[in-house]
Amino acid sequence: MNNALEISHLTKDYGSFKLDDVSFTVPGGTIMGLIGENGAGKSTTIKCILNLIHRDGGTITVFGRDTLREERAVKADIGVVLDEVLFHDLLQPRQLGKILSSLYPNWDNGIFEHYREKFGLTGNKTVKEFSRGMKMKLAIAAAFAARPRLLLLDEATSGLDPVVRDEILDEFLAFIQDEDHAILVSSHITSDLEKAADYITYLHKGRVALSGAKDELLDSYGKLVCGRAELERVDKALLGGCRMSQFGCEALVKDRRAFARRYPALTVDSVTLEDIMVLTGKGDAQ
Amino acid sequence: MKGLLYKDFILLRKQLTTYLVFLIVYGGFCVAGVFPLSILVALVAVLGLTVPLSSVATDDATRWDRYAVSTPISRRGIVAGKYLFAVLIILLSGAIVLALMLALIGTGLADGSMGEALLALPSCAFLTLLLNAVTLPFLLKYGAEKARAVSMVLFVSIFGGSILVGGLVNRGLELPALPHWLSLSGPVLLAALCVAAYLVSFAISLEIYNRKEF
Repeated sequence: MNNALEISHLTKDYGSFKLDDVSFTVPGGTIMGLIGENGAGKSTTIKCILNLIHRDGGTITVFGRDTLREERAVKADIGVVLDEVLFHDLLQPRQLGKILSSLYPNWDNGIFEHYREKFGLTGNKTVKEFSRGMKMKLAIAAAFAARPRLLLLDEATSGLDPVVRDEILDEFLAFIQDEDHAILVSSHITSDLEKAADYITYLHKGRVALSGAKDELLDSYGKLVCGRAELERVDKALLGGCRMSQFGCEALVKDRRAFARRYPALTVDSVTLEDIMVLTGKGDAQ
Repeated sequence: MKGLLYKDFILLRKQLTTYLVFLIVYGGFCVAGVFPLSILVALVAVLGLTVPLSSVATDDATRWDRYAVSTPISRRGIVAGKYLFAVLIILLSGAIVLALMLALIGTGLADGSMGEALLALPSCAFLTLLLNAVTLPFLLKYGAEKARAVSMVLFVSIFGGSILVGGLVNRGLELPALPHWLSLSGPVLLAALCVAAYLVSFAISLEIYNRKEF
């Protein structure tokens, strides 16, 4: 299986924030979910892939091609949906299609029309008249019409209602049926990623806190719910972070099987991506 | 780049009414004898400066460039698109103003010399190119708001200065005579200077744009 995206030792220093030595790989035929709290570096990573900002170090390749040396060829293979819709308010979707068809060498107007129809974006309405959800759908339709091999989605589903999100997730799943396609999606809505992603990379304060196959992460991590006294007896090296309240404690367990062998009396529940994010963040705050 | 030009012209279409009003009002003033016909030539500068400026302002407002840079078009292509758009606007407005002047002179609605108009029009077009050469790098570096100020200062200095000098000459001010070779080759030199400045400006803008982060 070829890697669609390889990020190696990516660094970008803003002074007040640093994306620090970020490395991860997105294999072909998969969806990688990029999660992390606000300001963790998700959008910065995507901007670096697209050369929207100048990185300070590291390399990025898309299907084996360097994004700096072969920028235009790489971008011809990438469909983009950014965290805000950047199309002019006065344009109609049909006009937008005409504009983008000359920017993307592989543009397929048939695909664009298909998604316009499917997402209810036909007619002569301008972008200004669309809701945020409709604008996002337009951006997704444009991204598909570019016939990309890699889709980069930065909070692309955040403005959509659950029904539409589900519909769009199905489209993403259909897209990666081709082993030559892949998706990198950053999202706060971790439930979507639990549904669709094959791999997860969790960015925390500009660094990769964890990265791996989603099922393996959800299988190996666990959530310990116990009292304060019990928590104090636990070896902290086995925990990823915890939060305490007047009702008890919740702690992230890094290896639930090893933990169960060592503390058979304590119960470790299964964990969600949100638990991993929240507990890691809380642990850091404490 | 074709797509970017198409976008700029599509968005310009929405402002056509404003520009049409400009032409009608100034044309009307010329017919009424308030202004000489040659004032219409200044419209080339007005349109040639304001249209590219408002095109960048519109792009800024929607943060379009962030999207454009993520597509396969290069940063060079984006900058070249804006420079080409400015040239096309100057040519287009030049053609429209010429047609209007010919129509007004031909129908006898306004007085004026065709020869003078034909001389003033290309001079003004090249001068507008020069003004764009100065403002476009500001436009791409600082955005439309700040560049608008630069553009206004330039416009007022050059055209206001010309009117002032013209007025003084009419009142008997004697300007030093230009050497014969310069008065002959002046228009060609001015045109060459404007084109060269525009090319240098493009190189500067490209450097500015390459350093930008979105």
